[in-house]
Amino acid sequence: MSAGIALALTLLFLTLIKSVPIVFAALGGVISERSGVVNIGLEGMMTAGAFSAVIFTNLTGSPIVGLIAGIFFGAFLGFILGFAATFFKVDQIVAGVGINLVALGGAAFGLVLIFNQPGASPQVNQLGPGQLLPQITTGEAAFIVLGLLCAFGLNWFIYRTPWGLRIQACGENPRAVTDAGLDPLRLRLYSVIASGALAGLGGAFLSICEVNLYSDGMTAGRGFIALAAVIFGRWTPWGATGAAVFFGFFEALQYVLQGRISWLPSDAMQALPYLAALFAIAGLVGRVRAPAADGVPY
Amino acid sequence: MKVVLRLLAGPAGAILLAFVLAAIAMLIAGVNPADGFYWLFRGSLGGRRPIAETLVQTTALLFPALGVSLAFRAGLFNIGAEGQLLMGGLLAGAVGAHFAGPQWLTVFVLLLIGMVGGGIWGGIAGWLRARFNASEIISTLMLNFVALSLAGYLVAGPLKSPLASGAETAPLLPNGWLPAFPSIGSISFGDTRLTISILIAIATAIVLRFVFTRTVFGYELRAAGEAPEAARRSGINMPRMTLLALTLSGAVAGLGGAAIVTGVLHRFNTSLSPGYGYTAIAVALVGDLNPLWVCVAAFGFGILEAGGLMMQANAGVPKDAIRVIEGLIILVLAARRYFATRATAAPI
Repeated sequence: MSAGIALALTLLFLTLIKSVPIVFAALGGVISERSGVVNIGLEGMMTAGAFSAVIFTNLTGSPIVGLIAGIFFGAFLGFILGFAATFFKVDQIVAGVGINLVALGGAAFGLVLIFNQPGASPQVNQLGPGQLLPQITTGEAAFIVLGLLCAFGLNWFIYRTPWGLRIQACGENPRAVTDAGLDPLRLRLYSVIASGALAGLGGAFLSICEVNLYSDGMTAGRGFIALAAVIFGRWTPWGATGAAVFFGFFEALQYVLQGRISWLPSDAMQALPYLAALFAIAGLVGRVRAPAADGVPY
Repeated sequence: MKVVLRLLAGPAGAILLAFVLAAIAMLIAGVNPADGFYWLFRGSLGGRRPIAETLVQTTALLFPALGVSLAFRAGLFNIGAEGQLLMGGLLAGAVGAHFAGPQWLTVFVLLLIGMVGGGIWGGIAGWLRARFNASEIISTLMLNFVALSLAGYLVAGPLKSPLASGAETAPLLPNGWLPAFPSIGSISFGDTRLTISILIAIATAIVLRFVFTRTVFGYELRAAGEAPEAARRSGINMPRMTLLALTLSGAVAGLGGAAIVTGVLHRFNTSLSPGYGYTAIAVALVGDLNPLWVCVAAFGFGILEAGGLMMQANAGVPKDAIRVIEGLIILVLAARRYFATRATAAPI
C-alpha cells in the first residue's frame, strides 16, 4: 500500500517537474498567437535559452546570470521572428522553421567552438540544487511556483488590462487596432519578444535547473508539444497551462513505467507525450477557433 | 536593376547569402575563409571520390525535398519528411533482411515498400487533417518523434540483428543492394557509395514536374494550394486532395529512406538521417518548389553536406555551421509567398 502511495507521489512530483518547460513555452505560444503570430520557433527559442544559460553560468559561475541570459537570448530570437513576421510580413511558419534550425545548429556549433566537445557541454553550477522534497529540488520548486504565477499573470494581463485587450485585438482584427490609433505591428513584435523570453526561460530550466549541462537535442520537441498545448488549451493561459501539465504527465508516466512493465520497452514509451499531443489536437474536431488573424501578416 | 533586385530577393540572393554567412562562420571559428572554402570545395568537388560523395548527399536530400515540394504545392506544410524518410527506410530494411529474389525485382520491391512506409506516415497526417482538421504542421512534427521512438524500439528489440553489436536490422542480402553507378568512360564508381539512386531521384523529379504541369491531378493540386477557396467551389474534393497530397509527399520521402537503405547502408539503423528531412525544407524553398530547380538546389546543399566534413577535419570549422546557414536561408526565403492566405488552414 505504502509503495503504491510512494509511486503516486513520485508520479505527481515528476509530472510537475516535466510540465514546467512545456508550461512556459505554451504560455509564450499563447501570447504570441493571441497577437496574431504563430510561433513555430518556440523549440528553437527553448534551445537558445537552454544553451545560453549554460554558457553564461559557465562564464560567471552564477546560474542566476545564466537564467537571465537564457531569457534574453530566447527573447532575442523572438525579436528576430517578430520583426520578420511584422515588418517584413514573411510566412510565419517558414520563418519559424528557420529559427529552429539556426538555434539547434548554432548551439551545436557553439559547443564545439567554446568547449571543443561535440554533443554536450561540461557540467555547470545548478540552480537551487538543494533537496526541498524527496523528488524536488529548491530550484525546481521555485520554477513550479513561477510557472503558476506566470499563468496567473498572463491571464490577468490578457483579459484585465488595456494592453492585453489590445494585443487580443491584434490577433482578431488588426485593422481595428490601427483604426483605434495604435500600431498592431509593434504590439505583435512585443508579444513575440515576450513569447521568446518565456520559451527561453523554459529552456533554461531544462539545462541549469533540472540538470546541469546542455546536450544537443535536449529540448526534444517540447516547443512543438507546447504548440499543441496552445491549441488544446484553446489559446487561453490557464487552458494552455492545463494542457501542458497533461502532456507533462505522459512524459512523467514514461519515467515511472520504465522497467515496471516488461513488455513495453522504454524506447516505445518515449513516444507517449508525442502521441498524447497528436490525439489531443485530433480530438478537437470542429470545436476550436484560433484567433481570426492568427498567422496572417498585416 | 529591377531584375537584379528580384533575383537577390529569391534563391540567388539566398545562395549569395549562404557564401557570406559561411565566411562569417569561418571567421568566428578563427579560420581564414579562403582556407575554409578551399576544404569545403576540395572535399565536395575535388576529384572522383568527393564528387561521388556529394552526389550521395544530393540524392539523400533530393527525395525528401521533392516530397516537401509536393505537399507545399498543395498548400500543406509537411515538416515531417524526417519521420517519413525514417519509416520508409525502416520498412525497407525490415523486409530486405529476409527477402531475396532476382536483384532488379528485389530492389524494386524494397523501394516500393519504402514508398508505402513513408506514404503511411504522411497519410496519417493527411487523414488527421482531412478528417479532424488537425494541423498538419503539428501532426507531422509529432510523427517525426513517434517514428524515431518506434524505429529505436524496433531495431533495439524485435528487428535487432543477432549478429550486430549495435542497434540495427540484419544486413540486406546483396540481391537487395542498388547497383553501383555505371562507369563513365574510364571513370568507375564501383569503389564509392554512389549508386543509381541518383538517377531514380532525378527521374522522380521529372515525373513530378510532368504531374504538376501536364496532368489534371497536378493542376488540381496546385489549385488547392494557390487558391483553396476557388478550388473547393470548382468541385475539387479538398479533404481527398489533402489526404492524397500528404500521402504522396510521404511516399516520395519514404522512397528516399529506402534508397539510403538499399544504396548506402545496406541495413537500417536510426542514424539513417542526420536531419535530411529538415534540410529538405531549405532545399525545396531554394528550388522554388519546382522539381527541376530542386535538383539543382539539392546538389548545392549536397556540396555543403559532403564538403562540411572535410572542412571540419582540415580547417577546424564545425560542420554544424552548415545547419545555421540553412536556417538563415530559410528565414530569408520566408519573405517570398508560397501559400495562399492562411485563413483556410487548420487551427494552429
